[in-house]
Amino acid sequence: MGTLLDSIAMVHGRRGPHPPLALKLADGAARDCLQRAGRKATEIDLLVNAGLYRDRGISEPALAALIQEDIGANLGDPPTGGHGTFSFDVDNGECGVLTAMHLAHGFLDSGSAELAMVVASDSDSGGPLRSKVPVPQAGGALLLRRDGASTGFTKFAFSTFPEFAGLYESYWEWQEGRRRGLLRRREGLNVLVVKEDPEFVARSVDCAATAVDRFLEDAGLAAGDVDLLIANRFPEFPEGLAERTGISKERLVGADEGLRNAHTAGVIAALDAAASSGRLAAARNALVVCAAAGITIGIALYRR
Amino acid sequence: MVSEASGDGASGAAPSARFESLGLKVPGKRLSSEELMASTKHKTRIELERLTGIHERHIVSGGEDSLKLAIGAAQDCLEHSRHSAADIEMLISCSISKYTRHYQHRLEPPLSLYIKEEIGAPQALNFDVSNACAGMATGVFLLNNFIRRGEIKRGMVVSGEDISQLGVNAAKQVRTVLSKQLASLTLGDAGAAVMVEAAPEGAPGIDIAGFTTLAKHSRLCLAYPSMIGPGASMYTNSRGIQSAAIADAPYLIREALEQSGLEYGEIDYSIPHQTSARAIRKARKAFAERLGDSPKETIINVEEFGNTSSTTHFVALYRNLKDGRFAKGDRIMLLALASGLEIGVIIFTMDDLVERYGHAA
Repeated sequence: MGTLLDSIAMVHGRRGPHPPLALKLADGAARDCLQRAGRKATEIDLLVNAGLYRDRGISEPALAALIQEDIGANLGDPPTGGHGTFSFDVDNGECGVLTAMHLAHGFLDSGSAELAMVVASDSDSGGPLRSKVPVPQAGGALLLRRDGASTGFTKFAFSTFPEFAGLYESYWEWQEGRRRGLLRRREGLNVLVVKEDPEFVARSVDCAATAVDRFLEDAGLAAGDVDLLIANRFPEFPEGLAERTGISKERLVGADEGLRNAHTAGVIAALDAAASSGRLAAARNALVVCAAAGITIGIALYRR
Repeated sequence: MVSEASGDGASGAAPSARFESLGLKVPGKRLSSEELMASTKHKTRIELERLTGIHERHIVSGGEDSLKLAIGAAQDCLEHSRHSAADIEMLISCSISKYTRHYQHRLEPPLSLYIKEEIGAPQALNFDVSNACAGMATGVFLLNNFIRRGEIKRGMVVSGEDISQLGVNAAKQVRTVLSKQLASLTLGDAGAAVMVEAAPEGAPGIDIAGFTTLAKHSRLCLAYPSMIGPGASMYTNSRGIQSAAIADAPYLIREALEQSGLEYGEIDYSIPHQTSARAIRKARKAFAERLGDSPKETIINVEEFGNTSSTTHFVALYRNLKDGRFAKGDRIMLLALASGLEIGVIIFTMDDLVERYGHAA
């Protein structure tokens, strides 16, 4: 069975001293996504958030639960009889959205869920813990539903290359003696640290080329069968990948300017561009590829 | 509730999943409630042990952290398993705390990557799940789906919770029992792991796994990187979350029982999320009144461990397996109650797992 893309939405955060919080970006994208599909929030069975740079670094509850409350998905008395919404977060860096889609695909395939939403957003942490997150403030959401035939997303694969784990790292770290504000001296401060090695994208291309070759072979496809290559980190990553795998560069699609470096929502931005241009609907075989810290390469096949 | 019960499925009876082995890694160092309360900055007059039933908790020391606890638990799980690390097809890390080194909370790469590499399972598909204290139960819920659909044969859910530091931070600010950081004083550290595999045809396994999020209660317990010390701080409306859980969980327990064709009284052991002995006893009484019956026993193990967050169910399961408390055929219900408000019900039938923990049927 395939999993169909029911609708998709992206929201930009404004630049400036008070950027929107990750939760607000996620809420906005989720609402836009529902509106575009003509759906109600109460129809969502599964809500998975894959965003990482969350407001104040919140670690509990799952941000998905807060999004669920904000958009009004089954908040009232406990629903029974197979209804209700189950929300949780998935952490897999820039591959998190593909991982969440893979999980949603499983529950749609088994019939345990009929409609799933995947949300991702990243923002500066906000408040006194603010640090410079080197990614655009952006949020994205997509709705997935089951297809009776074998169209839509039909195959997912993930590969890891831990020898390159140090090329992209992010973490919250207690730094002794850091100040909060000009006057208040404190023992220290928890600060979000994001470190990307200049070699990260080039090594990701190497890893992805290996993973895509294997994926296409498993799927019984050749590079020439790929009508559309949708990837995060446009243009460097997909262009390098196309060159290495023999996929024509004319078949690349990237996110709109300004969203090209969107972090966890980067792949949603690229999918949004592919869907809104009509190129996704026209493609027989669309390959979605993500590079993430690890190095982790996630791949999904969308078939018409 | 989004759920999957044995026997249902889109194309006839789907195969069952079962718990194949469990692992535990508990730090050697212990901290009593008396010692913890003696360390508070303010004179509180809080009788923590009397209020919660928590005598002590295990705490990390000597360079232990979330990652090391998770790896230790995964290795212990493999030692009790028929399988090797090379057989693991999926590894899900589910801890709230993701500390390595000195309270460095890792976001990328996910902890699951380091765990699978350390235990020798590089082939496993890996990712992290974050779902508060329902993390490991959520991981089992996900693996159950993959196994039932035949996409994988087995996977491991693992979590290392290094959360006693939240108690250290809370001790700097707690003044009365009304403090929103009171629940942080109940926390203890532990790593747990469970191997989930496809059950042989006709063998018992997971009868049902289901979850719902009652998000109108989503803001009753929030945790962030701390403003007052290394690690995190957690702010909980303990009464609010307990009231919501007591009011709403019976609906979902009833639904899970109906789907699996069971009566509440047929459950041999209930293992609820371990917060405090008083809260668990209160919930047990309320559930019995609402559901008209009770499981034969409700397991409480907070006295030694406190609340070990996402690992509590599997710490309790492991300890009671080792103690020889379970027998083949026992029906066990894991009840996840976590901030969100997440309510999860996993009911399974004990099989020859007992034999691998030193006990005959």
